[in-house]
Amino acid sequence: MSALLEMTGVRKRYGGVQALDGASLTALRGEVHALLGPNGSGKSTLDKTLAGTVVPDSGEIRIDGAQARIGGPRDAHALGVAAVYQQLSIVGDLTVTQNVVLGLEPARRSGFLDHRAARDRAATALERFAAAFSGRLPLDRPAASLRPGEQQIVEVAKALARDPRILVLDEATASLHKEQVEVLFEVVRELRAAGVLVVFTSHRLDEVFALCDRATVLRNGRTVATVDLSSTSEDALVRLMVAAPRPEPASPPEAPHRASAGTSAAAHGAREAPVRGGTAEPGAVALEVRGLTTDRLRDVDFTVRAGEVLGLGGLQGQGQSELLLALFGAARITAGDVLLDGEALPLTSPARAARAGVALVPGDRARQGMFASRPIQENLSLASMRRRARMKLALSAPAERRAARSMVERLGIKIGSLNDPVATLSGGNQQKVVIGKWLLDRPRVVLLDDPAKGVDVAAKEEIYAIIRGLAAEGAVVILNSSDNRELTELSDRVLVLFEGAVAEELTAAAITENRLVSSALRLAPGETL
Amino acid sequence: MRGLFPGVRLPGVQLSGAATVAMLVVAVVVNSALQPNFWSGYALTSNFATFVPLVAIAVGQTVVVLSGGIDLSLGAQVTLASVVAVRIVDGQLDRLPQAVAAALGVGLVCGALNGLVVALVRLQPIVATFATSFVFSGLALVVLPTPGGSVPLEVTTAYRAAVLGVPVALLAILGLALLWWVLRRHRVLRHVYAVGGDPEAAYASLVPVARTRISAYVLGGLFAALAALAVLANTGSGDPFVGNELTLASVAAVVIGGTSLAGGRGGAGGSILGAIVLALVTNIVFFADVPTTYRQLVNGAVIILALALAGIPALQKRRPAA
Repeated sequence: MSALLEMTGVRKRYGGVQALDGASLTALRGEVHALLGPNGSGKSTLDKTLAGTVVPDSGEIRIDGAQARIGGPRDAHALGVAAVYQQLSIVGDLTVTQNVVLGLEPARRSGFLDHRAARDRAATALERFAAAFSGRLPLDRPAASLRPGEQQIVEVAKALARDPRILVLDEATASLHKEQVEVLFEVVRELRAAGVLVVFTSHRLDEVFALCDRATVLRNGRTVATVDLSSTSEDALVRLMVAAPRPEPASPPEAPHRASAGTSAAAHGAREAPVRGGTAEPGAVALEVRGLTTDRLRDVDFTVRAGEVLGLGGLQGQGQSELLLALFGAARITAGDVLLDGEALPLTSPARAARAGVALVPGDRARQGMFASRPIQENLSLASMRRRARMKLALSAPAERRAARSMVERLGIKIGSLNDPVATLSGGNQQKVVIGKWLLDRPRVVLLDDPAKGVDVAAKEEIYAIIRGLAAEGAVVILNSSDNRELTELSDRVLVLFEGAVAEELTAAAITENRLVSSALRLAPGETL
Repeated sequence: MRGLFPGVRLPGVQLSGAATVAMLVVAVVVNSALQPNFWSGYALTSNFATFVPLVAIAVGQTVVVLSGGIDLSLGAQVTLASVVAVRIVDGQLDRLPQAVAAALGVGLVCGALNGLVVALVRLQPIVATFATSFVFSGLALVVLPTPGGSVPLEVTTAYRAAVLGVPVALLAILGLALLWWVLRRHRVLRHVYAVGGDPEAAYASLVPVARTRISAYVLGGLFAALAALAVLANTGSGDPFVGNELTLASVAAVVIGGTSLAGGRGGAGGSILGAIVLALVTNIVFFADVPTTYRQLVNGAVIILALALAGIPALQKRRPAA
């Protein structure tokens, strides 16, 4: 077999960050080639240069031996490249059919659309994934009304409808159920058999070993190695990815930060202010939820002690995110009480909840967690500005910068400059900004919605350390996670949710991956995915 | 849809569609109560005759708004196209084809200019088209410095005639609706929706984003030209200030019709109804014996009310937790 794709010396700089620094990738037709590396290593950028949504500063791309000039998605398409983007290329207001054929709509020469041909093409592309939609293809539904996993499948089907010889899958499994992942893998294997090259980017190493033939490892924008996965152990692969000494675990969030001590009365004063409501003894019940009911939740009861990490498990979409939103005042509560240290929490709006000491790290980081095009500094200082405002009015620019800087150092956020937009950071670093924003507000209750989703191994460990640090400080931590291993590692207790109600509570030794899976599934015999 | 509940989706478009129809019904009922001969052939004909320009420009504005832009020069384009056409036709029926072609040509060129400035020079649509509106109004003054010129009598007569009892102006409105219905089936409009809904996703999906934006402004210009022809047929002469009030009225009609100003959602059907509602409001204020000095004030207040009613569904969508 000859190389179908050769990328060499690819460089790309975003503001102060060198995302790609001479990366290379050689892959064959009929193989599934994994692209691995810690966050910020340039995987997504390399994927995008191939797909044409990013034009590299320099470098060479050869497809089938011929030099390829990819100046935009249309060039990539002409060369037979189709991509599934991490940030989906789905237009929510268009129907599924319209999305699948978008940009390549079947039409008469006059430009008038051929609806029947469009439907046929969309149905053909989606048919192989019928199992992921419980058998009924939602061809005429607006894409925005689908669940995240289903939208992801539509995105894949859209790429397949382009009949590519190179298919780029960037984190295509991040929001899929296990069963949906299996369907996707089956399709990828069919494509491989048909001679298609699939470039597969994922943080889930088990998936990489299950699906891929070879892997290319990137680090700091450079290619470290390309290995044959059949003769490589998981340990060896992880060592390649994090060969540099592992970053030190982030220090506990409340640890005093000396660098800025005594430099500004405002910043200093804010730090010394007593932690709100910090009367609870470690181990005492701090948060009490009684009969909480919303559109999506039924009669949820539980208590959490200060310093405890409560996990939320179960199949995806069983009300975990809604529970976090309700506790953050972002969902209308129709019945029930929520008490923090014995006092009712005002859950009528996120602003009031935040003032009462609740913080939410939302699941949809890009849309709900940050202002992507605003500077890192602003994003970090936003939630806690009122703490540093003099007379509740005037902010001091140096104090804001110091606060942001302290969080960047404490959480080990890898940035170019505080003035760069958050969007220029890698996923893991963006997530640290979202978390850091709340840590500056020193919350009593921290709600985390899948905080380590789409984040690489090293950054995951750092985020775990931050979570443990929060609990050690006496905060109430509620963690929703789609990753059962994450729940077993971090949680003191796990509530397994099903259809908006608590189905089972697992404690201590009972929190195992097996138990979590069986608990989630046993309760959903009707679920046929 | 981009609120805290991405999964929950209230049927906002349909809801605001219902709101628009309800407003139209109320406006018609109130108007017919105040204007005794509202349903007479003469009143209907002259009412519809005044509606057509606003309906046409509202359809054009809808296309631009759906693409994620806005065109504040549409009124000026109506003015320019109408004065050019009236200079060419100069009261002679045999020059009508050239005049119509010239009006459409003006719309095409103005729209293309706006499109280029917005899509390629990447100026903010609201500022860019505000600037070009002065260019277009200025040109109109050069072409026709003072009101004048005349439209062939045959044209103005035909415009106020009726075919089998149906006013020609109403047929023109139905024709505009039909034109929209046809456009909806064309690839360009699909791309307009995609670009207005999510330009980055559209770009990654091989949609020619810049070309689509330009097309939207060109279509806007062509509908402005149709509005100009309706203005001439209705008034019978040229006026270098005639389009001034149409621009913002077209935006209001689009909003009352339930099209999202953020782009990507809505349609011209609602805008047509919205334009008629706006025109009826003016009628109602006139027939309600509001003193002349208060007319504009009341008119504005009623429009604010209509905009608020049209905005209620969108409001619910934005704040599911309220």
